Amino acid sequence: MSAVSPPSTSEQPDAGRTDLAETGQDELDYTSHPAVEETPWLRLDIRVVFVDLAMFVISFLPTFLVWVVFDVDFDSGSFGIWPALVATSIGVLNAIVDLLRWLKTRYRVTDERIEQRIGWLTKKYRSVPRDRIRSVDFTARPRHRIAGLRVVGVSSGEAKQAFKLDALSVEAATALRLELQRQYRSRPTSQEDRVPVAPTTEDEPKAAEAAPAGEPREETLIASVKWWWFFYNVVNIWAFLVAALLLWGLFWVLQIVNIDLRDVVGRIVDWDAVGPVWSAVIIVGGTFVIGMAGLAWGFVKENWKLQLLRAKTESGSALVTRTGLFDTREVYRDDSRLRGIHLSEPLFWRWMKLTETQVISTGLSAWSGGESGATILPRVPLREAKRVAALVLNDDVQPLEAPLRRHPDSGLVRRLWWAVTGPGLLAVFTFWLGRTGALPDWVWEIFAWLVPVSIVLAVVAQRTLGHTLAGDYLVMRAGWNRRTTNALHRRAVIGFMMGETLVQRALGLRTIEVSTAAGEKAYQVRDIGTAQAVAFLHEALPHVVDDFLEFAHQPSRDKRGK
Amino acid sequence: MTEMVVPEAGSAPTPTPVTLRPPRYRVERKAILLWTLHAVIGAFWVLGGLGLTYRLWEASRPWLGPILWVLAVIYLVNITIMPSWRYLVHRWEVTDQAVYALSGWLTREWRITPISRIQSIDTTRGPLAQVMGLATLKVTTAARQGSITIAGVDAETVAEVAQRLTAITQQTPGDAT
Repeated sequence: MSAVSPPSTSEQPDAGRTDLAETGQDELDYTSHPAVEETPWLRLDIRVVFVDLAMFVISFLPTFLVWVVFDVDFDSGSFGIWPALVATSIGVLNAIVDLLRWLKTRYRVTDERIEQRIGWLTKKYRSVPRDRIRSVDFTARPRHRIAGLRVVGVSSGEAKQAFKLDALSVEAATALRLELQRQYRSRPTSQEDRVPVAPTTEDEPKAAEAAPAGEPREETLIASVKWWWFFYNVVNIWAFLVAALLLWGLFWVLQIVNIDLRDVVGRIVDWDAVGPVWSAVIIVGGTFVIGMAGLAWGFVKENWKLQLLRAKTESGSALVTRTGLFDTREVYRDDSRLRGIHLSEPLFWRWMKLTETQVISTGLSAWSGGESGATILPRVPLREAKRVAALVLNDDVQPLEAPLRRHPDSGLVRRLWWAVTGPGLLAVFTFWLGRTGALPDWVWEIFAWLVPVSIVLAVVAQRTLGHTLAGDYLVMRAGWNRRTTNALHRRAVIGFMMGETLVQRALGLRTIEVSTAAGEKAYQVRDIGTAQAVAFLHEALPHVVDDFLEFAHQPSRDKRGK
Repeated sequence: MTEMVVPEAGSAPTPTPVTLRPPRYRVERKAILLWTLHAVIGAFWVLGGLGLTYRLWEASRPWLGPILWVLAVIYLVNITIMPSWRYLVHRWEVTDQAVYALSGWLTREWRITPISRIQSIDTTRGPLAQVMGLATLKVTTAARQGSITIAGVDAETVAEVAQRLTAITQQTPGDAT
């Protein structure tokens, strides 16, 4: 299916509009909706103009001071009056631009939506349904405070703030907040309202605020830390970085008391006697041991008495992590926000079948570091992770156990291409730099030797690819360095993209990216076969795609309309 | 987020889908001109700026020369081929359930977002687009990656679609995450 248009529609420039008239009239007669017609468009507060004028005048202050008071002119000093002039012009320009913004901004709140028109050269119109509003917040800089103004931020489920009204009077802002709150406080269907904290800044769950003291609650233990997990987590390539940081800190601390760390080490080890090879071994090994000690301390501190449990809360239930060596930390993750599970198996530990486990959840940052609220287990055996995942998801499906469908082998072509061109180009580039003398002329060999390694990784990456639908979960697996497996509930999917590059087209491949409000916001099925892609979309997201699919036995034209 | 009805998997034997059909409508033919002008303006600033540097700063010539040539070829393709190619690919459609768009030229992208999951609706009209009576429609969901941008559509159509989308969106309660 290329972009060839059906002959009837492509010639009509008005086709889009005709369709609207057909389908839009009966149930969705928006044009005659009274609220839309009657609600007037509002300006931002007039005091913004006065603030701008004040800023305009104040902008001349530096120039005035420098020129009149300190008597500097264009030639004096090394810069003359120019810095002050630049400051003044920036200030003046800002004031004028802000004035234009005030002139060209209109907003209104109707029963069903908030709208904003803005823009002078480029005209923008934005509309957000009232029901999507999650929170309203005020900010004020000193100039706003003096003028009795507040900058109103209206946030929806989007990552960015939906609206910024800069600025309204305190009274208008408060009224607007009350008006909007009335709706999102009383919203019956939303799960999000159960969370007491306004989630304007993607709220990390904090120990204190989510753990109300009081009566004992119903809790089910899902997992608790085992002492041997210690060994899975301390051997890590990051040990070198940790060691470097520790040694660097130690070096400077000892410098304060006038001890040179280098001398101390030099007195313990006689470098000349051990020879260069053993020196290297001692240095690398020593650093690694120090780093491991650091990691061990970190692991113990973070995971001491770690417990993962499910607890009843006022609003339902939550997944709770309780941990801590010195102070008890608790992380609450509301179950109504849970959307799936993410496993990540680092390359060097795959032979031991170790994995890191995160939940895919809205309102938790998905940053893969250890302290992220999404991480529910340290590095543990895959079997344990799968057992925990089944209990966490708490339905019978066990999506992580489902066998995955392989992707077409033609995907290997792309991976081999990257494997050769990536290090290959670096090798050519460093070879060229070596010739010009910018780099030592052996550097390119390192990258040349990387090519066979990356070819092996390409094959590994190709074999890793897989997808399936297990119950209601889309399961997607990929990755050359870390093998990641994502199981995402299909209700959480808020749209998808199917992409095809020229190369993919030639190889019969597609990439599907489903987007969601949770976790990393987008999860990919890479290099799936073209037919597989359509079948998977039909199977996993029929409520989204079926209107647009063409089936084998039906003529497609008749499928539309209901 | 529970309001969406998800049909049970495998509840009825369905015929195998063959393909995702393209969206119904092309963008306006004028969009070719708009994209061409955008590319020309881009080329003017970038190539003009670098060309001036090349002329005035002699020390930069050995490395700036090749870069300038590569950019010149890229912009030439962008001006001559890209706009018409895009016009042949780009298509869009808005039903009562979903927004569907196909875009790209070297890389094609099909995007579908259910209207029930839309967070905000934007229309944008740049200076050139205003002269040509074109506009851009953008619908955003709770994930940045899930937003759909439809450029080069008749301005009045975009305004109507935006109105209609807002009306339908409001019918789905909840915060659409």
